[in-house]
Amino acid sequence: MVTAAPASDIDLYTEESIRSPYRDYRALRDLGPAVWLAQYQVWVVARYREVYAALHDHETFSSGSGVALSDAINERMRGTTLASDPPYHDHVRGLINGPLTPKALRKHQALFQEVADDLVDKLLGQSTFDAVTDFAQVLPLSVVPDLLGWPAEGRERFLPWASAAFNTVGPMNERAAAEVPAMREMWQYIAEMAESGRLRDGSWGADLVTAAAAGKVEKQLIPSLIGDYLVPSLDTTISALTSALWLFGRHPEQWHAVRADNSLIPNALNEIIRYESPARGFSRLLTRDHAFDGVELPAGSRVLMLYASANRDERKWATPDVFDIRRPNAKDHVGFGHGIHGCVGQGLARLEGNSLLTALAKRVRHIEVGEPTWRVNNHIRAIASMPATLTA
Amino acid sequence: MRILLDVKRCEGHGVCAETAPELFRLDDDGELVVLFDGDEIPAGQEDASASAVRVCPVGALRRQP
Repeated sequence: MVTAAPASDIDLYTEESIRSPYRDYRALRDLGPAVWLAQYQVWVVARYREVYAALHDHETFSSGSGVALSDAINERMRGTTLASDPPYHDHVRGLINGPLTPKALRKHQALFQEVADDLVDKLLGQSTFDAVTDFAQVLPLSVVPDLLGWPAEGRERFLPWASAAFNTVGPMNERAAAEVPAMREMWQYIAEMAESGRLRDGSWGADLVTAAAAGKVEKQLIPSLIGDYLVPSLDTTISALTSALWLFGRHPEQWHAVRADNSLIPNALNEIIRYESPARGFSRLLTRDHAFDGVELPAGSRVLMLYASANRDERKWATPDVFDIRRPNAKDHVGFGHGIHGCVGQGLARLEGNSLLTALAKRVRHIEVGEPTWRVNNHIRAIASMPATLTA
Repeated sequence: MRILLDVKRCEGHGVCAETAPELFRLDDDGELVVLFDGDEIPAGQEDASASAVRVCPVGALRRQP
C-alpha cells in the first residue's frame, strides 16, 4: 500500500531544538517511518527499526557521496572512510582500524587507568569543578593527540576543529558557515602534518604516511584518513563522559549499584550513549527507490538518519525516557552508528569510559552535579558546562 | 541456515560473544573464536545466531540460507 508521504516543517536546527531535541524527535517518529523535512529538502528517518535497516543496507543507502546535508561539505568529505562505499571503504577502513581494535588498545589500558585514577584523586581534592573542562576533556585530550602522533604545536586547536567539523555536518546554516574558516585551517594543518613527516614514528598518523610510501594507499588520501582519526575522537567521547557524570549525579541509586558491582559499567556506558547520544545522525544517498512501510522514497533522495531519535524510540525501547543502567537491551543502541560504518573508534571510547567509571567507582561515594548548560552544535549533543563535586 | 563471518570486517568488539556465548567467544588475545564447525548454525542456536548477527556493530556477520 502506498500512502501519501508525511512531511513536516519541524526545524531540528534551531537553538531551542538543539538544546531540547526529544519532543521534535518524537513528533517526527509519530509522523511516519520516513518524513520529508520541507525546510531542508531531505527525508528524515527517526524510528529505530528503519534507522537500523538503512545502516545495514549500505548498497541502497550510500555514503560515497557524503553523509552531511550540504553539497559543499559532502564534496570536502570525499576520501574519508565515513564518506565511502565498498570496496574503497573496506580498503581504507582496513588502513585505519588496526590500532583501534579492542585487542590493539589493550596495551594502553594501564596508562588510561593511571590517568583516570590521578584525575579522580585530583578532583576529590577540589570543592567544585567543571564537569567538561576539568573532568571529561582530560583523558581524551591527554591520550588522543599522543596516539595520533601530533606534535605539541596545534593541539589547542583540536577541540575547536572538532566542533567546527560537526557543525558543518548538518545543513549549511549560519552556525555551519561560521565554521568554514576553521575547517579550512584544520585541513591545511593536517595536510602539512602529512607532508612534513612531523608525526611521531609508530603513531597512528605516521603509520598512514608509511602505508602511503609503501604504495598501500594513495598519498593524497592521507589527510582525509588523518581527519578520520582526529575529528570524531574527542567531542563525542567528551560528551558521553560528561553525560555519565550528569546522569549518575541525578541517579545516585544507580551510582551506588555501579560501586557495588563494577561489572555493570559496560552496560551503563551503553545506556549513557543510548540516553544522550553524542552524535545526532548522518545522511545517506539513495541509490535506488526504497519504501519504508509504504512511504516511497525515490532514488537520488538524501536521507538523514537520526540515531539520537532511534535511541529513544518507544517502538523499540520500554520507557525510553528513563535512564536505566540495567536495561537488558541497551547494547542495541545505534549511538555509534551500526553496520559497516559503525564507529571505528568505539573500542577507544569504551576503554576511556571504562577507565574513568572504574576510577570513580573506586573512590567516589557521591557525585553532586548542578544545572548543565547545553552546547549549541548542529550535530553533537553535549553539555557545555556543569558544576560538579565528588565526595569520597 | 548458515552464518557467515567476514573476517576482514571483524574488529573484535566482542558483542556477538556477549550475546551468543555458545557460538562465539573472544580468546585471551582478543581474537574471535567461532565455537562450531563449518558455517552451519548448530541445532537449537537459531535465535542466538540471529541475535549475534543483529548486534554486530560493524556488520561482520550475516545469515544465509
